[in-house]
Amino acid sequence: MNDVSALPSNHTDCQVVKVPHLVFLVLGMVSLSENLLVVVAVVRNKNLHSPMYMFICSLATFNTISSLSKTWETLMMEFSDVGQLDSRGDSVRRVDDIIDALLCMSFIGCICSFLAIAVDRYVTIFHALRYHNIMTTRRAAAALAGIWALCGVAGAVMVAFCDATVIKIFFIVLFLISLLLILFLYVHMFLLARSHARKIAALPGSAMPHRSLRGALTLTMLFGVFVVCWAPFFLHLLLLMVCVENPYCECYRSLFQLNLVLLMSHAVVDPAIYAFRSAELRNTFRKMLFCSDSPLCYKVKALFH
Amino acid sequence: MMSMERRTLVPNPERERERERTQCKRTVRLRSWVFLEMSVFNHSNLSGGNAPDPDYKWTYEYYDDDEPVSFEGLKAHRYSIVIGFWVGLAVFVIFMFFVLTLLTKTGAPHPEGAEPCKKRVRLTSCVEDLRPPADPDNRPCLHRPLLDSSLSRSLFHCYVNEEQAQEGSRPRAGTPRGGLVQGPGRGRSGSPEEGGMEVGVTRALQGAAMLGGNRTDHREAMSLSHFNIPNVVNSEHCSTLGADDLLLGEPPIIMEGECHWPHSAHHMMD
Repeated sequence: MNDVSALPSNHTDCQVVKVPHLVFLVLGMVSLSENLLVVVAVVRNKNLHSPMYMFICSLATFNTISSLSKTWETLMMEFSDVGQLDSRGDSVRRVDDIIDALLCMSFIGCICSFLAIAVDRYVTIFHALRYHNIMTTRRAAAALAGIWALCGVAGAVMVAFCDATVIKIFFIVLFLISLLLILFLYVHMFLLARSHARKIAALPGSAMPHRSLRGALTLTMLFGVFVVCWAPFFLHLLLLMVCVENPYCECYRSLFQLNLVLLMSHAVVDPAIYAFRSAELRNTFRKMLFCSDSPLCYKVKALFH
Repeated sequence: MMSMERRTLVPNPERERERERTQCKRTVRLRSWVFLEMSVFNHSNLSGGNAPDPDYKWTYEYYDDDEPVSFEGLKAHRYSIVIGFWVGLAVFVIFMFFVLTLLTKTGAPHPEGAEPCKKRVRLTSCVEDLRPPADPDNRPCLHRPLLDSSLSRSLFHCYVNEEQAQEGSRPRAGTPRGGLVQGPGRGRSGSPEEGGMEVGVTRALQGAAMLGGNRTDHREAMSLSHFNIPNVVNSEHCSTLGADDLLLGEPPIIMEGECHWPHSAHHMMD
Protein backbone atom coordinates (compact mmCIF):
# COMPACT_ATOMS: atom_id res chain seq x y z
CA MET A 1 0.00 0.00 0.00
CA ASN A 2 2.81 2.38 0.81
CA ASP A 3 4.30 1.97 -2.61
CA VAL A 4 1.31 3.49 -4.26
CA SER A 5 2.35 6.88 -2.99
CA ALA A 6 5.52 6.52 -5.01
CA LEU A 7 3.48 7.12 -8.13
CA PRO A 8 3.41 10.58 -9.66
CA SER A 9 0.82 12.79 -8.09
CA ASN A 10 -1.17 13.38 -11.23
CA HIS A 11 -2.11 9.71 -11.24
CA THR A 12 -3.77 9.82 -7.87
CA ASP A 13 -6.87 11.60 -9.11
CA CYS A 14 -8.64 8.37 -9.84
CA GLN A 15 -7.31 5.95 -7.35
CA VAL A 16 -7.93 2.32 -7.92
CA VAL A 17 -10.80 1.30 -5.72
CA LYS A 18 -9.76 -1.77 -3.83
CA VAL A 19 -12.26 -4.25 -2.55
CA PRO A 20 -11.16 -6.27 0.49
CA HIS A 21 -10.35 -9.89 -0.11
CA LEU A 22 -12.92 -10.90 2.43
CA VAL A 23 -15.73 -9.71 0.18
CA PHE A 24 -14.51 -11.89 -2.65
CA LEU A 25 -14.03 -14.82 -0.34
CA VAL A 26 -17.52 -14.56 1.12
CA LEU A 27 -19.10 -14.12 -2.28
CA GLY A 28 -17.13 -17.02 -3.63
CA MET A 29 -18.11 -19.31 -0.78
CA VAL A 30 -21.79 -18.46 -0.98
CA SER A 31 -21.90 -18.81 -4.72
CA LEU A 32 -19.95 -22.04 -4.59
CA SER A 33 -22.25 -23.64 -2.06
CA GLU A 34 -25.41 -22.56 -3.84
CA ASN A 35 -24.36 -23.68 -7.27
CA LEU A 36 -22.84 -26.92 -6.01
CA LEU A 37 -26.15 -27.64 -4.33
CA VAL A 38 -27.96 -27.12 -7.61
CA VAL A 39 -25.58 -29.39 -9.49
CA VAL A 40 -25.82 -32.16 -6.92
CA ALA A 41 -29.59 -31.88 -6.77
CA VAL A 42 -29.97 -32.13 -10.53
CA VAL A 43 -27.58 -35.05 -10.75
CA ARG A 44 -29.17 -36.98 -7.92
CA ASN A 45 -32.81 -36.57 -8.81
CA LYS A 46 -33.77 -38.68 -11.79
CA ASN A 47 -36.79 -36.52 -12.46
CA LEU A 48 -34.50 -33.63 -13.25
CA HIS A 49 -32.65 -35.34 -16.06
CA SER A 50 -34.44 -33.35 -18.71
CA PRO A 51 -32.97 -30.84 -21.18
CA MET A 52 -34.25 -27.89 -19.25
CA TYR A 53 -32.61 -28.95 -16.02
CA MET A 54 -29.50 -29.99 -17.89
CA PHE A 55 -29.07 -26.41 -19.04
CA ILE A 56 -29.70 -25.09 -15.56
CA CYS A 57 -27.18 -27.58 -14.21
CA SER A 58 -24.65 -26.47 -16.80
CA LEU A 59 -25.14 -22.86 -15.76
CA ALA A 60 -24.67 -23.83 -12.14
CA THR A 61 -21.52 -25.76 -13.05
CA PHE A 62 -20.02 -22.77 -14.81
CA ASN A 63 -20.87 -20.60 -11.84
CA THR A 64 -19.25 -23.15 -9.57
CA ILE A 65 -16.08 -23.13 -11.63
CA SER A 66 -15.97 -19.35 -11.68
CA SER A 67 -16.47 -19.00 -7.96
CA LEU A 68 -13.92 -21.74 -7.29
CA SER A 69 -11.27 -20.09 -9.42
CA LYS A 70 -12.04 -16.66 -8.06
CA THR A 71 -11.83 -17.90 -4.49
CA TRP A 72 -8.63 -19.74 -5.25
CA GLU A 73 -7.15 -16.66 -6.82
CA THR A 74 -8.18 -14.51 -3.88
CA LEU A 75 -6.57 -16.97 -1.51
CA MET A 76 -3.39 -16.97 -3.53
CA MET A 77 -3.29 -13.21 -3.52
CA GLU A 78 -3.94 -13.18 0.18
CA PHE A 79 -1.04 -15.55 0.73
CA SER A 80 1.09 -13.47 -1.55
CA ASP A 81 0.25 -10.34 0.39
CA VAL A 82 1.20 -12.02 3.58
CA GLY A 83 4.42 -13.13 1.98
CA GLN A 84 3.90 -16.85 1.95
CA LEU A 85 3.83 -17.09 -1.79
CA ASP A 86 6.37 -15.98 -4.32
CA SER A 87 4.39 -14.26 -6.97
CA ARG A 88 7.21 -14.36 -9.42
CA GLY A 89 7.67 -18.08 -9.32
CA ASP A 90 7.11 -20.07 -12.46
CA SER A 91 4.70 -22.51 -10.94
CA VAL A 92 2.67 -19.74 -9.41
CA ARG A 93 2.53 -18.05 -12.77
CA ARG A 94 1.30 -21.18 -14.41
CA VAL A 95 -1.33 -21.68 -11.77
CA ASP A 96 -2.36 -18.11 -12.33
CA ASP A 97 -2.71 -18.75 -16.04
CA ILE A 98 -4.89 -21.74 -15.34
CA ILE A 99 -7.07 -19.69 -13.04
CA ASP A 100 -7.50 -17.01 -15.65
CA ALA A 101 -8.33 -19.55 -18.31
CA LEU A 102 -10.94 -21.11 -16.04
CA LEU A 103 -12.43 -17.71 -15.32
CA CYS A 104 -12.66 -16.83 -19.00
CA MET A 105 -14.15 -20.22 -19.73
CA SER A 106 -16.76 -19.86 -17.03
CA PHE A 107 -17.72 -16.37 -18.14
CA ILE A 108 -18.30 -17.46 -21.70
CA GLY A 109 -20.00 -20.60 -20.44
CA CYS A 110 -22.41 -18.60 -18.31
CA ILE A 111 -23.42 -16.48 -21.26
CA CYS A 112 -23.89 -19.53 -23.48
CA SER A 113 -25.92 -21.25 -20.78
CA PHE A 114 -28.22 -18.26 -20.47
CA LEU A 115 -28.73 -18.41 -24.17
CA ALA A 116 -29.41 -22.13 -24.07
CA ILE A 117 -31.96 -21.73 -21.29
CA ALA A 118 -33.71 -18.94 -23.19
CA VAL A 119 -33.81 -21.03 -26.38
CA ASP A 120 -35.13 -24.01 -24.45
CA ARG A 121 -37.91 -21.93 -22.93
CA TYR A 122 -38.68 -20.46 -26.32
CA VAL A 123 -39.03 -23.90 -27.87
CA THR A 124 -41.22 -24.89 -24.94
CA ILE A 125 -43.60 -22.05 -25.58
CA PHE A 126 -43.75 -21.87 -29.32
CA HIS A 127 -43.19 -25.46 -30.32
CA ALA A 128 -44.97 -27.12 -27.49
CA LEU A 129 -46.29 -30.08 -29.39
CA ARG A 130 -42.95 -30.99 -30.81
CA TYR A 131 -40.88 -29.97 -27.85
CA HIS A 132 -39.79 -33.44 -26.94
CA ASN A 133 -38.91 -34.08 -30.56
CA ILE A 134 -36.92 -30.93 -31.00
CA MET A 135 -35.26 -30.87 -27.63
CA THR A 136 -34.31 -34.45 -27.02
CA THR A 137 -31.92 -35.35 -24.28
CA ARG A 138 -29.33 -36.34 -26.82
CA ARG A 139 -29.51 -33.03 -28.61
CA ALA A 140 -29.35 -31.16 -25.35
CA ALA A 141 -26.32 -33.18 -24.33
CA ALA A 142 -24.70 -32.50 -27.69
CA ALA A 143 -25.42 -28.79 -27.35
CA LEU A 144 -23.92 -28.79 -23.89
CA ALA A 145 -20.85 -30.67 -25.08
CA GLY A 146 -20.42 -28.10 -27.85
CA ILE A 147 -20.80 -25.25 -25.38
CA TRP A 148 -18.25 -26.75 -23.02
CA ALA A 149 -15.77 -27.41 -25.83
CA LEU A 150 -16.17 -23.88 -27.17
CA CYS A 151 -15.72 -22.38 -23.73
CA GLY A 152 -12.68 -24.48 -22.92
CA VAL A 153 -10.98 -23.53 -26.17
CA ALA A 154 -11.99 -19.89 -25.84
CA GLY A 155 -10.67 -19.69 -22.29
CA ALA A 156 -7.32 -21.17 -23.25
CA VAL A 157 -7.00 -18.99 -26.34
CA MET A 158 -7.90 -15.83 -24.47
CA VAL A 159 -5.27 -16.36 -21.88
CA ALA A 160 -2.64 -17.43 -24.37
CA PHE A 161 -3.15 -14.47 -26.66
CA CYS A 162 -4.13 -11.72 -24.33
CA ASP A 163 -2.53 -9.01 -26.45
CA ALA A 164 -4.66 -9.57 -29.49
CA THR A 165 -7.50 -7.11 -29.57
CA VAL A 166 -9.51 -9.54 -31.60
CA ILE A 167 -9.95 -11.63 -28.46
CA LYS A 168 -11.51 -8.77 -26.57
CA ILE A 169 -13.62 -7.86 -29.55
CA PHE A 170 -14.80 -11.45 -29.71
CA PHE A 171 -15.74 -11.40 -26.05
CA ILE A 172 -17.66 -8.16 -26.37
CA VAL A 173 -19.41 -9.17 -29.56
CA LEU A 174 -20.42 -12.47 -28.00
CA PHE A 175 -21.86 -10.63 -25.05
CA LEU A 176 -23.81 -8.17 -27.20
CA ILE A 177 -25.22 -10.85 -29.47
CA SER A 178 -26.27 -12.99 -26.51
CA LEU A 179 -27.84 -9.98 -24.85
CA LEU A 180 -29.89 -9.12 -27.89
CA LEU A 181 -30.93 -12.71 -28.49
CA ILE A 182 -31.96 -13.24 -24.89
CA LEU A 183 -33.90 -9.98 -24.92
CA PHE A 184 -35.67 -10.92 -28.11
CA LEU A 185 -36.57 -14.42 -26.96
CA TYR A 186 -37.88 -13.36 -23.59
CA VAL A 187 -39.83 -10.39 -24.90
CA HIS A 188 -41.45 -12.60 -27.50
CA MET A 189 -42.42 -15.08 -24.80
CA PHE A 190 -43.68 -12.27 -22.66
CA LEU A 191 -45.88 -10.99 -25.46
CA LEU A 192 -47.49 -14.39 -25.65
CA ALA A 193 -48.04 -14.40 -21.92
CA ARG A 194 -49.58 -10.99 -22.19
CA SER A 195 -52.12 -12.14 -24.75
CA HIS A 196 -52.83 -15.17 -22.62
CA ALA A 197 -53.48 -12.92 -19.68
CA ARG A 198 -55.77 -10.76 -21.71
CA LYS A 199 -57.79 -13.71 -22.82
CA ILE A 200 -58.00 -15.08 -19.34
CA ALA A 201 -59.01 -11.69 -18.05
CA ALA A 202 -62.00 -11.95 -20.34
CA LEU A 203 -63.29 -14.55 -17.97
CA PRO A 204 -65.69 -12.83 -15.65
CA GLY A 205 -64.54 -12.83 -12.12
CA SER A 206 -60.99 -13.64 -12.86
CA ALA A 207 -59.46 -10.24 -13.18
CA MET A 208 -56.01 -10.41 -11.73
CA PRO A 209 -54.01 -7.53 -13.05
CA HIS A 210 -51.29 -7.97 -10.54
CA ARG A 211 -50.30 -11.25 -12.12
CA SER A 212 -49.33 -9.59 -15.35
CA LEU A 213 -47.44 -7.03 -13.38
CA ARG A 214 -45.53 -9.77 -11.71
CA GLY A 215 -44.71 -11.23 -15.10
CA ALA A 216 -43.24 -7.91 -16.17
CA LEU A 217 -41.39 -7.69 -12.90
CA THR A 218 -39.96 -11.18 -13.30
CA LEU A 219 -38.78 -10.56 -16.80
CA THR A 220 -37.28 -7.22 -15.85
CA MET A 221 -35.49 -8.82 -12.95
CA LEU A 222 -34.15 -11.66 -15.07
CA PHE A 223 -32.86 -9.45 -17.79
CA GLY A 224 -32.00 -6.51 -15.59
CA VAL A 225 -29.81 -8.54 -13.26
CA PHE A 226 -28.00 -10.01 -16.23
CA VAL A 227 -27.33 -6.63 -17.76
CA VAL A 228 -26.44 -4.86 -14.50
CA CYS A 229 -23.98 -7.54 -13.49
CA TRP A 230 -22.30 -8.15 -16.81
CA ALA A 231 -22.35 -4.84 -18.65
CA PRO A 232 -19.87 -2.96 -16.43
CA PHE A 233 -17.22 -5.61 -16.98
CA PHE A 234 -17.70 -5.55 -20.72
CA LEU A 235 -17.66 -1.81 -20.83
CA HIS A 236 -14.33 -2.07 -19.06
CA LEU A 237 -13.07 -4.36 -21.81
CA LEU A 238 -14.38 -2.00 -24.44
CA LEU A 239 -12.77 1.01 -22.85
CA LEU A 240 -9.49 -0.87 -22.62
CA MET A 241 -9.49 -1.19 -26.35
CA VAL A 242 -11.02 2.07 -27.38
CA CYS A 243 -9.66 4.77 -25.12
CA VAL A 244 -6.53 3.64 -23.43
CA GLU A 245 -5.21 7.00 -22.33
CA ASN A 246 -8.34 8.99 -21.83
CA PRO A 247 -8.58 10.14 -18.22
CA TYR A 248 -12.31 9.57 -18.10
CA CYS A 249 -11.82 6.01 -19.22
CA GLU A 250 -9.04 5.71 -16.70
CA CYS A 251 -11.40 6.69 -13.95
CA TYR A 252 -13.91 4.14 -15.13
CA ARG A 253 -11.24 1.47 -15.22
CA SER A 254 -10.19 2.30 -11.69
CA LEU A 255 -13.44 0.74 -10.51
CA PHE A 256 -12.54 -2.61 -11.96
CA GLN A 257 -12.74 -4.48 -8.68
CA LEU A 258 -16.27 -3.28 -8.11
CA ASN A 259 -17.21 -4.63 -11.51
CA LEU A 260 -15.68 -7.94 -10.52
CA VAL A 261 -17.75 -7.94 -7.35
CA LEU A 262 -20.83 -7.45 -9.50
CA LEU A 263 -19.84 -10.38 -11.67
CA MET A 264 -19.38 -12.59 -8.66
CA SER A 265 -22.67 -11.50 -7.16
CA HIS A 266 -24.35 -12.55 -10.35
CA ALA A 267 -23.15 -16.07 -9.68
CA VAL A 268 -24.80 -15.76 -6.26
CA VAL A 269 -28.10 -14.50 -7.63
CA ASP A 270 -28.29 -16.93 -10.56
CA PRO A 271 -29.60 -19.95 -8.64
CA ALA A 272 -32.34 -17.80 -7.15
CA ILE A 273 -33.44 -16.67 -10.59
CA TYR A 274 -33.20 -19.90 -12.48
CA ALA A 275 -32.90 -22.93 -10.30
CA PHE A 276 -34.77 -22.17 -7.09
CA ARG A 277 -37.94 -21.29 -8.95
CA SER A 278 -38.51 -24.93 -9.64
CA ALA A 279 -40.68 -26.69 -7.12
CA GLU A 280 -39.07 -29.99 -7.91
CA LEU A 281 -35.58 -28.62 -7.29
CA ARG A 282 -36.69 -27.02 -4.06
CA ASN A 283 -38.12 -30.29 -2.86
CA THR A 284 -34.88 -32.00 -3.74
CA PHE A 285 -32.95 -29.42 -1.74
CA ARG A 286 -35.18 -29.88 1.21
CA LYS A 287 -34.74 -33.59 1.08
CA MET A 288 -31.00 -33.30 0.74
CA LEU A 289 -30.41 -30.67 3.35
CA PHE A 290 -32.97 -31.07 6.01
CA CYS A 291 -34.27 -34.51 5.80
CA SER A 292 -33.17 -37.58 4.00
CA ASP A 293 -35.59 -40.14 2.69
CA SER A 294 -35.52 -42.07 5.89
CA PRO A 295 -38.64 -43.45 7.50
CA LEU A 296 -37.90 -41.33 10.54
CA CYS A 297 -38.21 -38.22 8.43
CA TYR A 298 -41.64 -39.19 7.24
CA LYS A 299 -42.73 -39.90 10.78
CA VAL A 300 -41.53 -36.51 11.86
CA LYS A 301 -43.35 -34.91 8.98
CA ALA A 302 -46.50 -36.83 9.82
CA LEU A 303 -46.33 -35.45 13.32
CA PHE A 304 -46.65 -31.95 12.02
CA HIS A 305 -49.47 -32.59 9.62
CA MET B 1 -9.35 -11.91 -13.35
CA MET B 2 -7.34 -10.44 -10.55
CA SER B 3 -4.37 -12.63 -10.95
CA MET B 4 -0.74 -12.12 -10.94
CA GLU B 5 0.53 -10.04 -13.70
CA ARG B 6 2.01 -11.47 -16.76
CA ARG B 7 5.69 -10.94 -17.08
CA THR B 8 7.66 -11.06 -20.23
CA LEU B 9 11.32 -11.66 -20.56
CA VAL B 10 13.17 -9.38 -22.93
CA PRO B 11 16.89 -9.12 -23.22
CA ASN B 12 17.06 -5.46 -24.19
CA PRO B 13 14.81 -2.55 -23.55
CA GLU B 14 13.03 -1.55 -26.72
CA ARG B 15 10.71 1.34 -26.50
CA GLU B 16 8.43 0.39 -29.32
CA ARG B 17 7.96 -3.15 -28.28
CA GLU B 18 7.52 -1.88 -24.80
CA ARG B 19 4.70 0.29 -25.98
CA GLU B 20 2.99 -2.65 -27.60
CA ARG B 21 3.48 -4.75 -24.57
CA THR B 22 2.19 -1.97 -22.47
CA GLN B 23 -1.01 -2.19 -24.42
CA CYS B 24 -1.25 -5.80 -23.47
CA LYS B 25 -0.28 -4.96 -19.97
CA ARG B 26 -3.08 -2.49 -19.78
CA THR B 27 -5.31 -5.36 -20.64
CA VAL B 28 -3.37 -7.53 -18.29
CA ARG B 29 -3.95 -4.84 -15.75
CA LEU B 30 -7.40 -6.14 -15.55
CA ARG B 31 -5.81 -9.35 -14.49
CA SER B 32 -3.87 -7.88 -11.69
CA TRP B 33 -4.45 -5.16 -9.24
CA VAL B 34 -3.21 -6.37 -5.96
CA PHE B 35 0.22 -7.01 -7.22
CA LEU B 36 0.59 -3.39 -8.09
CA GLU B 37 2.54 -2.88 -4.94
CA MET B 38 4.87 -5.68 -5.73
CA SER B 39 5.38 -4.59 -9.30
CA VAL B 40 5.99 -1.00 -8.35
CA PHE B 41 8.31 -2.12 -5.62
CA ASN B 42 10.25 -4.24 -8.03
CA HIS B 43 10.02 -1.80 -10.85
CA SER B 44 11.65 0.91 -8.83
CA ASN B 45 14.83 -1.04 -9.31
CA LEU B 46 14.37 -1.08 -13.03
CA SER B 47 14.08 2.56 -13.91
CA GLY B 48 12.99 3.07 -17.47
CA GLY B 49 13.57 -0.50 -18.28
CA ASN B 50 17.28 -0.65 -17.62
CA ALA B 51 17.35 -3.81 -15.67
CA PRO B 52 20.28 -4.36 -13.40
CA ASP B 53 19.51 -8.04 -13.64
CA PRO B 54 20.60 -9.12 -17.08
CA ASP B 55 18.41 -12.18 -17.03
CA TYR B 56 15.07 -10.52 -17.22
CA LYS B 57 13.42 -7.22 -17.18
CA TRP B 58 10.04 -6.26 -15.91
CA THR B 59 8.16 -4.65 -18.72
CA TYR B 60 4.99 -4.45 -16.76
CA GLU B 61 4.22 -0.89 -15.94
CA TYR B 62 1.07 0.09 -14.23
CA TYR B 63 1.33 3.58 -15.59
CA ASP B 64 3.40 3.98 -18.68
CA ASP B 65 6.12 6.51 -18.12
CA ASP B 66 6.06 7.56 -21.74
CA GLU B 67 2.44 8.51 -21.81
CA PRO B 68 1.16 9.57 -18.47
CA VAL B 69 -2.53 9.87 -18.27
CA SER B 70 -3.02 13.51 -17.59
CA PHE B 71 -5.79 14.63 -15.39
CA GLU B 72 -5.24 18.25 -16.13
CA GLY B 73 -7.92 20.33 -17.68
CA LEU B 74 -10.78 17.94 -17.37
CA LYS B 75 -13.94 19.68 -18.44
CA ALA B 76 -16.42 17.33 -16.90
CA HIS B 77 -16.35 15.41 -13.69
CA ARG B 78 -13.74 12.71 -13.83
CA TYR B 79 -16.19 9.97 -13.04
CA SER B 80 -18.59 11.15 -15.72
CA ILE B 81 -18.36 7.92 -17.69
CA VAL B 82 -19.15 5.92 -14.59
CA ILE B 83 -22.08 8.11 -13.64
CA GLY B 84 -23.37 8.25 -17.19
CA PHE B 85 -23.12 4.50 -17.60
CA TRP B 86 -24.97 3.66 -14.41
CA VAL B 87 -27.65 6.27 -14.95
CA GLY B 88 -28.16 4.98 -18.48
CA LEU B 89 -28.36 1.40 -17.25
CA ALA B 90 -30.89 2.28 -14.56
CA VAL B 91 -32.97 4.23 -17.04
CA PHE B 92 -32.87 1.33 -19.46
CA VAL B 93 -34.01 -1.21 -16.88
CA ILE B 94 -36.79 1.00 -15.56
CA PHE B 95 -37.87 1.85 -19.07
CA MET B 96 -38.00 -1.81 -19.94
CA PHE B 97 -40.10 -2.50 -16.87
CA PHE B 98 -42.53 0.25 -17.72
CA VAL B 99 -42.80 -0.87 -21.31
CA LEU B 100 -43.55 -4.40 -20.21
CA THR B 101 -46.09 -3.19 -17.66
CA LEU B 102 -47.71 -1.00 -20.25
CA LEU B 103 -47.88 -3.94 -22.61
CA THR B 104 -49.77 -5.92 -20.04
CA LYS B 105 -52.23 -3.14 -19.43
CA THR B 106 -53.00 -2.11 -23.00
CA GLY B 107 -55.63 -3.95 -24.93
CA ALA B 108 -59.01 -4.09 -23.29
CA PRO B 109 -60.31 -7.54 -22.64
CA HIS B 110 -63.40 -8.59 -24.53
CA PRO B 111 -65.90 -9.73 -21.96
CA GLU B 112 -68.50 -10.73 -24.51
CA GLY B 113 -66.11 -12.93 -26.27
CA ALA B 114 -68.09 -12.87 -29.45
CA GLU B 115 -65.33 -11.59 -31.60
CA PRO B 116 -62.67 -14.06 -30.60
CA CYS B 117 -65.15 -16.85 -30.97
CA LYS B 118 -65.70 -16.04 -34.54
CA LYS B 119 -62.12 -15.84 -35.48
CA ARG B 120 -60.29 -18.79 -36.72
CA VAL B 121 -58.84 -20.96 -34.12
CA ARG B 122 -55.17 -21.18 -34.73
CA LEU B 123 -54.18 -24.56 -33.64
CA THR B 124 -52.26 -27.39 -35.00
CA SER B 125 -51.95 -27.41 -38.68
CA CYS B 126 -54.40 -30.23 -39.03
CA VAL B 127 -57.18 -28.34 -37.35
CA GLU B 128 -56.71 -25.12 -39.18
CA ASP B 129 -59.69 -25.62 -41.33
CA LEU B 130 -61.95 -26.60 -38.51
CA ARG B 131 -63.82 -23.76 -37.00
CA PRO B 132 -65.77 -23.71 -33.83
CA PRO B 133 -69.47 -23.69 -34.49
CA ALA B 134 -71.19 -20.36 -34.44
CA ASP B 135 -72.28 -19.27 -31.07
CA PRO B 136 -75.55 -17.52 -31.53
CA ASP B 137 -76.29 -16.62 -27.99
CA ASN B 138 -73.19 -14.45 -27.59
CA ARG B 139 -72.03 -16.10 -24.50
CA PRO B 140 -68.38 -15.71 -23.81
CA CYS B 141 -66.55 -18.41 -25.57
CA LEU B 142 -64.96 -19.54 -22.44
CA HIS B 143 -68.14 -20.52 -20.80
CA ARG B 144 -69.19 -23.16 -23.18
CA PRO B 145 -67.39 -26.43 -23.34
CA LEU B 146 -64.09 -26.15 -24.89
CA LEU B 147 -65.08 -27.87 -28.02
CA ASP B 148 -68.16 -29.42 -29.38
CA SER B 149 -68.05 -33.13 -29.28
CA SER B 150 -68.02 -33.61 -33.01
CA LEU B 151 -65.42 -30.99 -33.55
CA SER B 152 -63.37 -32.25 -30.70
CA ARG B 153 -63.54 -35.76 -31.97
CA SER B 154 -62.32 -34.76 -35.36
CA LEU B 155 -59.66 -32.62 -33.78
CA PHE B 156 -58.68 -35.48 -31.61
CA HIS B 157 -58.24 -37.78 -34.54
CA CYS B 158 -56.40 -35.12 -36.41
CA TYR B 159 -54.15 -34.59 -33.47
CA VAL B 160 -53.57 -38.29 -33.19
CA ASN B 161 -52.64 -38.51 -36.80
CA GLU B 162 -50.30 -35.60 -36.56
CA GLU B 163 -48.63 -36.98 -33.52
CA GLN B 164 -48.28 -40.30 -35.17
CA ALA B 165 -46.84 -38.71 -38.22
CA GLN B 166 -44.35 -36.92 -36.10
CA GLU B 167 -43.33 -39.53 -33.69
CA GLY B 168 -44.21 -42.82 -35.14
CA SER B 169 -47.00 -44.95 -33.91
CA ARG B 170 -48.03 -44.17 -30.43
CA PRO B 171 -51.58 -44.97 -29.41
CA ARG B 172 -53.48 -42.20 -27.76
CA ALA B 173 -55.92 -43.10 -25.11
CA GLY B 174 -57.29 -39.71 -24.31
CA THR B 175 -60.89 -38.84 -24.13
CA PRO B 176 -61.96 -36.86 -27.12
CA ARG B 177 -62.57 -33.56 -25.50
CA GLY B 178 -60.70 -30.68 -26.91
CA GLY B 179 -57.43 -29.77 -25.36
CA LEU B 180 -55.52 -28.82 -28.36
CA VAL B 181 -52.31 -27.07 -28.10
CA GLN B 182 -50.70 -24.37 -30.01
CA GLY B 183 -49.40 -25.57 -33.29
CA PRO B 184 -45.76 -25.38 -34.00
CA GLY B 185 -45.98 -22.96 -36.83
CA ARG B 186 -49.20 -21.23 -36.14
CA GLY B 187 -48.56 -20.15 -32.69
CA ARG B 188 -45.51 -18.20 -33.52
CA SER B 189 -47.24 -14.98 -34.26
CA GLY B 190 -49.05 -14.83 -31.03
CA SER B 191 -51.81 -16.72 -29.52
CA PRO B 192 -54.85 -18.61 -30.49
CA GLU B 193 -57.87 -16.50 -30.65
CA GLU B 194 -59.90 -18.60 -28.38
CA GLY B 195 -59.38 -18.01 -24.70
CA GLY B 196 -60.37 -21.47 -23.72
CA MET B 197 -57.88 -22.87 -26.11
CA GLU B 198 -55.30 -20.81 -24.41
CA VAL B 199 -56.01 -22.53 -21.20
CA GLY B 200 -55.31 -25.70 -23.00
CA VAL B 201 -52.26 -24.16 -24.52
CA THR B 202 -50.79 -23.24 -21.24
CA ARG B 203 -51.49 -26.61 -19.78
CA ALA B 204 -50.04 -28.35 -22.74
CA LEU B 205 -47.03 -26.12 -22.69
CA GLN B 206 -46.38 -27.10 -19.18
CA GLY B 207 -46.74 -30.71 -20.03
CA ALA B 208 -44.58 -30.41 -23.09
CA ALA B 209 -41.86 -28.58 -21.29
CA MET B 210 -41.89 -31.08 -18.57
CA LEU B 211 -41.27 -33.92 -20.89
CA GLY B 212 -37.61 -33.74 -21.21
CA GLY B 213 -36.68 -37.32 -21.48
CA ASN B 214 -38.00 -40.34 -23.15
CA ARG B 215 -40.49 -41.15 -20.53
CA THR B 216 -43.35 -42.66 -22.36
CA ASP B 217 -45.54 -42.75 -19.31
CA HIS B 218 -45.33 -39.00 -18.99
CA ARG B 219 -46.03 -38.61 -22.62
CA GLU B 220 -49.12 -40.69 -22.20
CA ALA B 221 -50.10 -38.66 -19.19
CA MET B 222 -49.60 -35.49 -21.15
CA SER B 223 -51.85 -36.61 -23.93
CA LEU B 224 -54.36 -37.69 -21.37
CA SER B 225 -54.26 -34.40 -19.60
CA HIS B 226 -54.65 -32.60 -22.89
CA PHE B 227 -58.00 -34.06 -23.25
CA ASN B 228 -59.10 -33.48 -19.71
CA ILE B 229 -58.65 -29.79 -19.91
CA PRO B 230 -62.26 -28.73 -20.40
CA ASN B 231 -63.02 -30.08 -16.97
CA VAL B 232 -60.39 -27.80 -15.66
CA VAL B 233 -61.54 -24.74 -17.49
CA ASN B 234 -65.00 -24.87 -16.08
CA SER B 235 -64.11 -25.68 -12.55
CA GLU B 236 -63.85 -22.83 -10.15
CA HIS B 237 -60.76 -23.63 -8.25
CA CYS B 238 -58.80 -24.11 -11.38
CA SER B 239 -59.51 -20.72 -12.77
CA THR B 240 -56.42 -19.15 -11.39
CA LEU B 241 -54.77 -19.20 -14.72
CA GLY B 242 -53.15 -16.22 -16.09
CA ALA B 243 -49.84 -15.00 -17.21
CA ASP B 244 -48.39 -17.17 -14.52
CA ASP B 245 -49.15 -20.22 -16.46
CA LEU B 246 -46.95 -19.28 -19.27
CA LEU B 247 -44.34 -21.76 -18.50
CA LEU B 248 -40.97 -20.21 -18.51
CA GLY B 249 -39.70 -21.50 -15.28
CA GLU B 250 -40.15 -25.04 -14.34
CA PRO B 251 -42.91 -27.33 -15.29
CA PRO B 252 -44.45 -29.81 -12.95
CA ILE B 253 -42.80 -33.11 -13.21
CA ILE B 254 -45.75 -35.27 -12.51
CA MET B 255 -49.17 -34.56 -13.75
CA GLU B 256 -51.62 -36.01 -11.37
CA GLY B 257 -54.94 -34.47 -12.06
CA GLU B 258 -55.79 -31.29 -13.71
CA CYS B 259 -55.75 -28.93 -10.83
CA HIS B 260 -52.29 -29.55 -9.56
CA TRP B 261 -50.67 -27.28 -11.99
CA PRO B 262 -51.66 -23.88 -10.72
CA HIS B 263 -50.72 -24.91 -7.26
CA SER B 264 -47.62 -26.94 -7.64
CA ALA B 265 -45.92 -25.28 -10.52
CA HIS B 266 -44.02 -22.10 -10.03
CA HIS B 267 -43.72 -20.35 -13.27
CA MET B 268 -41.30 -17.87 -14.47
CA MET B 269 -43.81 -15.15 -14.70
CA ASP B 270 -44.83 -15.68 -11.11
